[in-house]
Amino acid sequence: MKQALDDLHKGSNSKDLRIGVYVCHCGKNIGGTVRCEEVAEFAGTLPNVILAKDSLYTCSEPGQEQIKTDIREQKLNRVVVASCTPRLHEPTFRAACESAGLNPYLLEMANIREHCSWVHLHDRDAATDKAKDLVAMAVARAALLEPQFELTVPVKRSAMVIGGGVAGIQAALDMADAGYKVYLVERTGSIGGRMAQIDKTFPTMDCSICILAPKMSEIGRHPNVGLLTLSEVKEVEGHIGNFKVKVLRKARYVTDGCTACGDCIHACPQLAPDEFNAGLSIRHAIYIPFAQAVPSRYAVDMNLCLNNQGIVACDRCFQACTRKCIDFAEQDQILDLEVGTIVVATGVDVYDPTALTELGYGRFPNVITTLEFERLINAGGPSSGELIRPSDRRRPERVAFLQCIGSRSKRSNPYCSNVCCMNTIKDALLIKEHWPETEIFVFYIDIRAFGKGFEDLFQRARREGVTFIRGIPGEIIEDINTGDLTLLGENTLLGSSYRYRMDMVILSVGIRPRSDASVIQRLLNLSTDTDGFYMEAHPKLRPVDTTTGGVFLAGAAEGPKDIKDSVTQASAAASRANILMSRGEVRIPAVTAKINPDKCSACGLCAKICPYHAIEGSKEQGYYRVIEAMCQGCGACVPECKFGALDQAHFTEAQIVSQINQALAHSPERKIIAFACNWCSYAGADFAGVSRIQYPDNVRIIRTMCSARVAPDWIELAFLKGAGAVLVSGCHPSDCHYNNANQNTAKRVEKFWKRMEKLGLNKDRLRLAWVSAAEGTQFAKVIKEMEQGINKLTPLQIEETKQKLAKRPSKKGEPV
Amino acid sequence: MTVKIWNFFPREALYECYQCARCTGSCPAIEVAPALGPRETILKCLNLGHDEIVEDERLWVCCTCNVCEDRCPQKIPISDLLVALRNSAARRGNIPDKLEIAIELLAKTGRSMIVHQLDEMRAHHGLAPLLPVPIDEVREILKKTRLDEVVEF
Ligand SMILES: Cc1cc2nc3c(=O)[nH]c(=O)nc-3n(C[C@H](O)[C@H](O)[C@H](O)COP(=O)(O)OP(=O)(O)OC[C@H]3O[C@@H](n4cnc5c(N)ncnc54)[C@H](O)[C@@H]3O)c2cc1C
Ligand code: SF4
Ligand code: SF4
Ligand code: SF4
Ligand code: SF4
Repeated sequence: MKQALDDLHKGSNSKDLRIGVYVCHCGKNIGGTVRCEEVAEFAGTLPNVILAKDSLYTCSEPGQEQIKTDIREQKLNRVVVASCTPRLHEPTFRAACESAGLNPYLLEMANIREHCSWVHLHDRDAATDKAKDLVAMAVARAALLEPQFELTVPVKRSAMVIGGGVAGIQAALDMADAGYKVYLVERTGSIGGRMAQIDKTFPTMDCSICILAPKMSEIGRHPNVGLLTLSEVKEVEGHIGNFKVKVLRKARYVTDGCTACGDCIHACPQLAPDEFNAGLSIRHAIYIPFAQAVPSRYAVDMNLCLNNQGIVACDRCFQACTRKCIDFAEQDQILDLEVGTIVVATGVDVYDPTALTELGYGRFPNVITTLEFERLINAGGPSSGELIRPSDRRRPERVAFLQCIGSRSKRSNPYCSNVCCMNTIKDALLIKEHWPETEIFVFYIDIRAFGKGFEDLFQRARREGVTFIRGIPGEIIEDINTGDLTLLGENTLLGSSYRYRMDMVILSVGIRPRSDASVIQRLLNLSTDTDGFYMEAHPKLRPVDTTTGGVFLAGAAEGPKDIKDSVTQASAAASRANILMSRGEVRIPAVTAKINPDKCSACGLCAKICPYHAIEGSKEQGYYRVIEAMCQGCGACVPECKFGALDQAHFTEAQIVSQINQALAHSPERKIIAFACNWCSYAGADFAGVSRIQYPDNVRIIRTMCSARVAPDWIELAFLKGAGAVLVSGCHPSDCHYNNANQNTAKRVEKFWKRMEKLGLNKDRLRLAWVSAAEGTQFAKVIKEMEQGINKLTPLQIEETKQKLAKRPSKKGEPV
Repeated sequence: MTVKIWNFFPREALYECYQCARCTGSCPAIEVAPALGPRETILKCLNLGHDEIVEDERLWVCCTCNVCEDRCPQKIPISDLLVALRNSAARRGNIPDKLEIAIELLAKTGRSMIVHQLDEMRAHHGLAPLLPVPIDEVREILKKTRLDEVVEF
């Protein structure tokens, strides 16, 4: 095998190219529109093609066997398959090549289904001509393909989990139980997260801390778990399989001899609102977050402690502690961790409704939030589980819940927070359980009871006499003498105004991304969605992966979800990480960038824009180099190099240029050259095909991994060759799969527009479009619009463009 | 003599409405009179078309205080819609008599209503009598706002 590969390598250097072309009918999917025999016959006439065949289903066993046999017997050293999108069957055909001894990177595909037969259903001639063009482009590129060898990197068998809520706890336990070392990094003094604050959980009405506490203690005693509380991640370097992490562990000032007896607290003179009880009670400077906290140890809040100036001005707690566990000399520490995988489970913040002044939160004491309610009704809470209203500690007889507060609103969070409907129903039932005579009103827009057991709970609440009124109050008025509240609004189902007097109002507040979510986002190169939650690599098929290899998402940090979904996702994330760790190594696609040190002038421009900091070097060193294991293969750096020192494996300058040249070999003035990124726009064009959206046949799509790979030189080349129009398309700015590399795309296109403008050229011929994988319609629309532009073009304009662009500004510093 | 409502209000904004009723819930007019609340106005525009609404005389009870717009979670420019609807309604003859008279008076006298006691009251407070109004200028303004299309003067 090794010998065969060496031979092949030699083969590619010499002119001894032997290309085999396979044109697939895909039953009638392609064959119904494209005359496949004719296309194969045409392919046979192309340079270096020594055989060309058509078959009914190339992806079938016999189809693949044919390719393997030809590789062996006909000594093929390049294979071109013209069929469906490479996003579907590239792995299939690559595997076939590999098993016949051909390097998998010597395969090229022409997409004649999604990008041709399905989108030109009614024009056999045009579709057949376009298929020929696509095959010719593929053959041209195939001739320049090089074998690539995927790098195998070792994966350290240890993991870090950031965030110790229920999701982080579950993920840590699943990995620790599988035998891997896990560091659980939690910012507060105890793990538990929001679930520890909640009284009961919907839909089962379990006691929240009762079901959580056993898992928490398991973390505390698990031999494979290193629990780091009062800790934050400060720095992450490295890559999948080998992350080097710096964690700041803040001093606790209480040693592990602490038995949580609590003798110290009453000695402490310093007081502050207790955040665990949502500020409804007070705690001391020396405190334990809550009774079931893990680790079960007190801590000194140094911001509050009288000794915060670095001198011991007060030692009352020290004196009170019989075990002498208080140590004011303790220091913050930086810990260095090395882990192979990371799970992010940082959870959510709760919406603060102060801004909605008409509801009076913060001004009217009897208007509270659902989080405050959870603490009020909890036996371990500030009122020992008695439902009392804050103004006079009287038990309310009429209680209102207001839904969608801070959710589904352009003024706050546009999305549905997913848990608040069920949470309110749970809370209403809790009140009914203890004080059945209480009158409860829920003001809502829609009740979303979509999960297993949810509808049952909703029906139960109605049976128990909870009144549901459709229409959120527009105004709350407080009676300053009694603290009672009057709600003004409209019952939309009755079509009449209402005016209700209530003893207490509970705002069902939504959940939102952590206010400091961007810190972890930057440290790990994650993307966020438009709502600010961390984004998954694929919403359906890779829901817990991120675009950063080796980093996974769990829990509400990825989007609003309840406990069950958080736990499910946590186990999924742990399982994904476990796969990597159990295999112990990982292969990375060989599409990385490479720098030729002889040409590199050490300007460092590429390093500045690399979204993964994968390029290192310095003027002193004399050159820069790409750290292969860190490079994600976006190619954004390549066009940045003014000295031609950079290139990207498998998406080389020469390969793409050959595609452009071939695409424009005939009637260039009619053609649209469309650069499309692999993840969004190419997939969007695929989706147009799947949806059978018809659009003009004169577009020729060239795939790159990221739109940031598109070099202004390519655009120029296309126009010099007389192209009618050029499209550069990529993911919407916030959806870029390479950490916003596509901001470079926008910059470069804008620069090119400026140049066209300066030269007096029609800049509408160059178009920039953000097309997501779901926007097939948008892709088709853009092509139709561009086609209209081309129809208005005169040969003179095309000629003028060629001439003006050919006069390249020679002086350095001029815009290129 | 008609106005295109959608030139003054983005039609797509209608689809943003959740029917949450915060707008009507905060509306002061509906507290004292049978106004057509903004929520219902939007729903009718969506489900029945705006022709239905411009015939409805309750359209005129709104006092254009803007509080509905302030409460709307979807930032729908509700007051623009209500004003556009009234413009259309007036041109189709749905305009309260009193308002018509007021416009006519304004065009003829420069004042929207004649209150004979006014000078007495001003004198009582030590204020000088009102000056005569430059009627031509007022008429020019009224024409510029195209009120002459609604009421003849
Ligand atoms: C009022 C309310 C009531 C609810 N009721 C229910 C219910 O009845 N049933 C139900 O199923 N769901 C309920 N939920 C939803 C439930 O709280 C969440 O599904 C669950 O808490 C999500 O768990 P998590 O681990 O993802 O996040 P969290 O519980 O938010 O935990 C995240 C943890 O990460 C830590 N952290 C954050 N950032 C960092 C950082 N940078 N470094 C280190 N640590 C960090 C936090 O301190 C926290 O401990 C309710 C939510 C609310 C707000
Ligand atoms: S030293 Fe600090 S924690 Fe201890 S009692 Fe004094 S103020 Fe409280
Ligand atoms: S879950 Fe219910 S209350 Fe919460 S935002 Fe969604 S619809 Fe509104
Ligand atoms: S910019 Fe992209 S291709 Fe270049 S080194 Fe960085 S990750 Fe790799
Ligand atoms: S407040 Fe806005 S979203 Fe709610 S009903 Fe009124 S117009 Fe619709």
